[in-house]
Amino acid sequence: MFRSILRQTRALNGFTNGSRSLATAAASKPAPRLKTFKIYRWNPDTPEVEPKMQSYDIDLNECGPMVLDAILKIKNEQDATLTFRRSCREGICGSCAMNIGGRNTLACLCRIETDTSKETKIYPLPHMFVVRDLVPDLTHFYKQYKSIQPYLQRDTHPADGRENLQSIEDRAKLDGLYECILCACCSTSCPSYWWNQQEYLGPAVLMQAYRWLIDSRDQASGIRKEMLQNSMSLYRCHTIMNCARTCPKGLNPGRAIAEIKKQLAFD
Amino acid sequence: MISLVTRPTLTGASRSGAALLIRGIKTIPQPPGYIVGTVNDAYVPPKPHKAEGSYHWTSERIAAFALAPLTLAPLVGGTSTILDSTLSTILLYHCYTGFQSCITDYIPKRVYGSYHNYANYLLIFGTGVAGYGLYKIETSEDGGVTGIIKKTWNA
Repeated sequence: MFRSILRQTRALNGFTNGSRSLATAAASKPAPRLKTFKIYRWNPDTPEVEPKMQSYDIDLNECGPMVLDAILKIKNEQDATLTFRRSCREGICGSCAMNIGGRNTLACLCRIETDTSKETKIYPLPHMFVVRDLVPDLTHFYKQYKSIQPYLQRDTHPADGRENLQSIEDRAKLDGLYECILCACCSTSCPSYWWNQQEYLGPAVLMQAYRWLIDSRDQASGIRKEMLQNSMSLYRCHTIMNCARTCPKGLNPGRAIAEIKKQLAFD
Repeated sequence: MISLVTRPTLTGASRSGAALLIRGIKTIPQPPGYIVGTVNDAYVPPKPHKAEGSYHWTSERIAAFALAPLTLAPLVGGTSTILDSTLSTILLYHCYTGFQSCITDYIPKRVYGSYHNYANYLLIFGTGVAGYGLYKIETSEDGGVTGIIKKTWNA
């Protein structure tokens, strides 16, 4: 609460400063605010060259407020070989997930730290195979998502041949779950997923498993629960809660996993 | 294999003794990108096994919750042999499942193969020895485990 107020006032300060500097801009150009970005670079075409951190200086006066703006500016103006995924630039596609300043988040939702004396380090998502620069290999993550059968399964269909209806209360249970964009920020921040990602499904996928478990229209709960009844798929979660801490959409996968454990205990 | 190429720190000269020991153990090579089958196949979970799944988890929780009052009881109203042996047995089980969880996390069968089993056998052996020790304490020692802790507190 307090932190969000602080952020708001800071944003307001930034705004007034900005308008002031705009007013003076007519007379003289403001001093450039050079900020250093250190970005992880690795090229699969030269596998003998070790990965390195490359520095780029950006003038914050001529750059948008988000980290994605900065790396796009680097790609456009300084180094066209810098590789990363991006698409919607508004936090709805989940493409630009990366590790910025030690925290997994979406580059498009992450503000640039305006303190120019500190450098910002950008890495790909931790403990994933790197395809190139900031692009991680998410194939296994998607294979895991596929395994929970993320679609509606029914034995019976409505008599009138129309859609499966759901009460407002039942629909409300899906809030906080369906918003997940599968950016993999939570899964790749989970130490348990780092150790056992081959077998442990990870917070993102398990939250979707729960989303289908509690959907009142779904009738395949039996198979869905049975799939998780082993030591690896679900029970490698040790409630470390990095997932809820890092989620750029403010969701709580840790709670969803706890709810699955509770359901299975009374199964 | 890929990770070795992309992680420069592993090839550095400063290797700890523990790292060298682990290097000495033959691990099972993992498929590239951890992908089993084609990229379009879904991940296949291990076979369902309730004793390793929900029953195991529930028993862990019951033990953990039972420990709280059992630990506090001797502080409030003294102890008896039954109370003390219940406390020590559940505590032993609690430690056993805790270490078992560590083994599943850090020495997974997928990577270490039979070493995973050896670690578990060692844990079962250790738990057995500790269980025998508890039996000895409960039958011969005055005051049981609680009594021993009381003595060290005063010493």
